[in-house]
Amino acid sequence: MAGELLTNVSPHLHKKDETIARAMKDVLIALAPAAIWALVVFGFNVVLILAVSCIAAAIAEVVMRKIMGRKITLKDYSAMVTAVLFAFLLPPTTPLWVVAIGSFIAIAVFKELFGGLGKNVVNPAITARLLLWITPLSVYTTKFVRPFYWKDSGFFTPIATSFSKGVTTFQTLAGNSVDVVAAATPMSLLKSGRWGVDVITGPTPIGATWTNSAGRPTLGSLFLGLKSGCIGEVSVLLLLLGGLYLIWRGTIDWRIPTGIIGSFLLLNLIFWNQPLYNLFAGGLFLGAFFMATDWVTSPVTRRGKWIYAVGIGLTVFLIRLLHYRPEGVAIAIFMWNFGTLLIDRYIAQPKFGEVGVGVFNKLPILPEPAPAPAKKEA
Amino acid sequence: MSGKTGFKTFAGGIHPPYNKELASGKAIRACPIPPEVYIPLSQHIGAPNEALVAAGDRVELGQRIGSSDAFVSAPVHSSVAGTVKEVAEITGFTGAKVKCVVITPDADQPEFAKQQGKDLEAYSDEEIRAIAREAGLVGMGGAAFPTHVKLAPPKDKPVDTVIINACECEPFLTCDHRLMLERPADLVAGLKLLMKAVGARDGIIGIEANKMDAVEEMRKAASGADGIKVEVLDVKYPEGAEKMLIFALTGRKVPPGKLPSEVGCLVQNVGTAVALYEAAAWGKPLYERVVTVTGDGISEPGNLLVRIGTPIQALIDACGGFKGDLAKIVMGGPMTGWAQPDAKAPVVKGTSGVLALTADVVDVAEEHECVRCAKCVDVCPMFLQPNFIVQAVKREEWDKAEMWGALDCFECGCCSFTCPAYIPHVTYVRKAKADIGALKRK
Ligand code: SF4
Ligand code: SF4
Repeated sequence: MAGELLTNVSPHLHKKDETIARAMKDVLIALAPAAIWALVVFGFNVVLILAVSCIAAAIAEVVMRKIMGRKITLKDYSAMVTAVLFAFLLPPTTPLWVVAIGSFIAIAVFKELFGGLGKNVVNPAITARLLLWITPLSVYTTKFVRPFYWKDSGFFTPIATSFSKGVTTFQTLAGNSVDVVAAATPMSLLKSGRWGVDVITGPTPIGATWTNSAGRPTLGSLFLGLKSGCIGEVSVLLLLLGGLYLIWRGTIDWRIPTGIIGSFLLLNLIFWNQPLYNLFAGGLFLGAFFMATDWVTSPVTRRGKWIYAVGIGLTVFLIRLLHYRPEGVAIAIFMWNFGTLLIDRYIAQPKFGEVGVGVFNKLPILPEPAPAPAKKEA
Repeated sequence: MSGKTGFKTFAGGIHPPYNKELASGKAIRACPIPPEVYIPLSQHIGAPNEALVAAGDRVELGQRIGSSDAFVSAPVHSSVAGTVKEVAEITGFTGAKVKCVVITPDADQPEFAKQQGKDLEAYSDEEIRAIAREAGLVGMGGAAFPTHVKLAPPKDKPVDTVIINACECEPFLTCDHRLMLERPADLVAGLKLLMKAVGARDGIIGIEANKMDAVEEMRKAASGADGIKVEVLDVKYPEGAEKMLIFALTGRKVPPGKLPSEVGCLVQNVGTAVALYEAAAWGKPLYERVVTVTGDGISEPGNLLVRIGTPIQALIDACGGFKGDLAKIVMGGPMTGWAQPDAKAPVVKGTSGVLALTADVVDVAEEHECVRCAKCVDVCPMFLQPNFIVQAVKREEWDKAEMWGALDCFECGCCSFTCPAYIPHVTYVRKAKADIGALKRK
């Protein structure tokens, strides 16, 4: 016999390729089409933002894990997934230094400070994005460009990062001004005008193919991805394809996107609130397939997943109905990340053959202070 | 319930690589008798046996060498004719020391003298139980629970259905498959005896769909037998787990912490049913069994008829020895078996297989923090929350470990198989069971 034999406890087989790194790679593959499309629509700036986000995340991970004396786990690609998702939540005009700060915070604070992958309570990408939004830096993350704006200024022309208050015209680094549409995303159209008022005041977006006579994007253009918006939320079609790929690979649970999109659509149908426009306009698909399905911050039981998903759908609906926020989806997922803690603790999953179990686990309402280690015999 | 393939199945579970083709085509052949056999005195779950022989004694083939007066126990018999060398503590397959009768076999081994002309129909239920006990029958799928105890369900819980667990859902193993192909009539006869013993009306032989040749053989053998039918099951692990099998075949659910008799069922393994037939028809005690010797680390995988007490090295030698970069020897199936530090442990009544796995097959990685992917929860056939059991055990919160299902876990290993964080849940579950048990006894 050659060398030592392994004597670990059963089972002695492990599912092929079922690793954290494989799953994270799957997510990156699933995000790739949307990223490439964003590049086509919004120009080379997208590449810079993605690159900076990934580099900042990698630095954050290495630095934090060194400080905290943990093993470097860049190889599991989880930091990269967070970095890409964070970039996806930004407008294509975001200055690179803002991207770097945000991405660094996402990993350093919302992932590593909590104890690393698996211990974080909230989705790092979403939380970092929301943090930017409530800080003065938010001014840098609210300007959107119209699709194919680069036709005028050149594909490789980066957008200048010089913002001055209130000015919404952008400079390319070469010095000529890029004509950028100020914040006329489909979502803002929806909010300020519903279907009635034409709110686009800037230059008419390119071509007539993707807007109707009132200047609003058609449903088809929303679905295919000819609209302004954050980098990652442009093409519903490509996000959907990526999401279906992840479900097929068993990396995400179909219940979560189904529950979110289903409940959201149903509510909008019931209240007849532009159901399809609402569905395709904002970041719902990105959130439902890629953010809410984050393993670490979603519930583990099937029952819990349904509650969580319908909860998110309902929350997004309410936010959009009552108080327009472009970050509605992010806020809803962030809130339900905390819901996950409660769901996992209190919602019971009956065991095989178990009858008469209520909906709730029999646990004290408040978590007990510190777990008292049971006494052990010497 | 029906699975995607239309065959019967349960919810949850996994699809491991089966690798059955390594040994499924190999007919059962006898394993040579080793220079010494080490027969553990207690090979069942229950009260330990006392040795009935001492160093220097002569023993005959099939002679009883250990027994106990306790109800939940099964005697052991000598698997060879020979001389007792000593009664000593030997390291068993679980790694714990077990008391063994060490016997030096005679050079010439007799054939077992079969009793002739038994009328199987004439046995009463009482007699069948006595035969099972006398022959030292235990569950041969690995659990090794004394058979006669299972055949005496509580009076208020009549058993109407006896199920033969012929799923052999563990990857690699083929011993039950071979028994069905080679001795279908004996299996049906054994099933009839089991039905008689508990007064059951129905007998079901549940076979996974990857053994259609066995299905055919068994259907032929069972045609004309009253109340016996052969059912095909989905190929999924752990289809052969008692509760899952009962549910798949009858739709009945055994509640947590309860036995199959709660829902009027009795489940027995293929090997056990054949052994019961041998005991009833020939008066033969359980001193040998079929063991699958396989794995990509075995030169010539096969199915051996092995005398109890044979060290596994002898089995491996009989199959051409090791090959490749050996990483692990497992006694039992790859999902629930025991990894061995060497090839010395003796075969016992519950040994269904000996596997030699190379580094290519064995996939070990460092345990990562749980990433809450819920895959373990999805596959757990008991609908437990293995991730939270592990968490509770780490924090020593025993009441929570129990709430998440530590005591209901039957250690099938589906959770660890599918865990991307490579968490060894079963290790934690065993710790929980031991510690919760200790707390409860206090
Ligand atoms: S499969 Fe592993 S990583 Fe996933 S939830 Fe279960 S224990 Fe955690
Ligand atoms: S918790 Fe126990 S019963 Fe459930 S999958 Fe894991 S080993 Fe099997």
